[in-house]
Amino acid sequence: MSKEFSVVGPKIYATIHTGIPILGDINITETLVVTWIVMLIITGLCIFLTRDLKMENISKRQAFAEMLVEMGNNFVRNNTGGTKFDKLIPFVSALFVTSVVSNLISLIGLRSPTADLSTEAAWAIVVFIMITSTKIKTNGLGGYLKGFTTPIAVMTPFNILSELATPVSMACRHFGNILSGVVIDGLIYWALGLASSALLGLIPGVVGNFLSKIPILGVGLPAITGVYFDWFSGCMQAFIFCMLTVMYIANAAEEG
Amino acid sequence: MGIQALLAFAASNETQDLVTVGPWTLIFQICNLFIQVHLIKKYLFKPINDILEKRQNLADKAIKEAREAKEEADSLKDQYESSLTNAHSEAAQIVSDAQKEAQVKADAMVHEAQKEAADIKARAAADIEQEKKKAINEAKDEIGGLAMDIAGKVVEKEINENDHKKLIEDFISKVGA
Repeated sequence: MSKEFSVVGPKIYATIHTGIPILGDINITETLVVTWIVMLIITGLCIFLTRDLKMENISKRQAFAEMLVEMGNNFVRNNTGGTKFDKLIPFVSALFVTSVVSNLISLIGLRSPTADLSTEAAWAIVVFIMITSTKIKTNGLGGYLKGFTTPIAVMTPFNILSELATPVSMACRHFGNILSGVVIDGLIYWALGLASSALLGLIPGVVGNFLSKIPILGVGLPAITGVYFDWFSGCMQAFIFCMLTVMYIANAAEEG
Repeated sequence: MGIQALLAFAASNETQDLVTVGPWTLIFQICNLFIQVHLIKKYLFKPINDILEKRQNLADKAIKEAREAKEEADSLKDQYESSLTNAHSEAAQIVSDAQKEAQVKADAMVHEAQKEAADIKARAAADIEQEKKKAINEAKDEIGGLAMDIAGKVVEKEINENDHKKLIEDFISKVGA
């Protein structure tokens, strides 16, 4: 067991040199690879769930798929109060399910793509663009720009800041929660490993040396803490992210 | 230790910084998100929404058909009820007609019978009267003859019957009156 504890960023599997100035080299990181795995899982699940659909006498699988779709529909419709934003349903659902699966995939030992700020930043940028375009669509470009000077012109910088704070806070909130889960899980495993090493190291001789390498105390406790730090936090952050997305866009459409 | 390691960026050839935004990763993730949206729309929402809509239509159709069937049944029921009522009133009409007719016939029969009885009675009375007259006439004749016989015998003389007939008849009629 190492005496040092560290949390590292996602691994870089390959680097493609592009020579483009600002963007730099393309790094195929763990984040991207796991995201692709997540996408495969979700798409596979969708195809599996919607196989041989029937009108009557439906299978449990179909009932589950219908329930998921209804949940997505209801989530968006209830939070926007109408069917005006039905086009958002697949987007919000995709965001939610990608987020949840990404968060929970750490349970099978892969590194969550959501433990990389790039992922959340990407999502937040998309949401920010959607919010802004909805605002411009609702009020016109002039109305949108004028909105920054309310209630008085002096407030303009603060309004711009608060506008920009939306995606930043969304991204950082999600990222921070998932990363904290990763860090805490890592810390718990590390500490339990040290503890078992110290405990079993008390056995003298070769047996003690061998046994002290097995972090036996790591069985059990992380499963309990994982309920909060992985399961709850993972689902909660995905929910919050989607909720905020829907709310912000619905609000953007209401501003007069 | 732990916290320090967390704060320090893990600088290595092998890993990315812990808290950083990689431009290409960002772009890829945006693309991934849209691809995922498209996939989820195509493989989950479209088929399920289609099937939900189809089922909705089916249910609507079934409800509509049921409603139509009910309306039809109701109208049939009304029709039957009205025709039943008609039949009842018709039957009552027939019965009352028959009763009236029977009454009329019975009255007519009674009337006729009465008339006939009266006729018979009148004829009988006339007959009796005639018989009576006849009997009286016969009796008159008889008495006349008898009286003449008696008178002949009394007078011992053949009386001309024809001469005295008038006389006798006058006598009898006075007696008969």
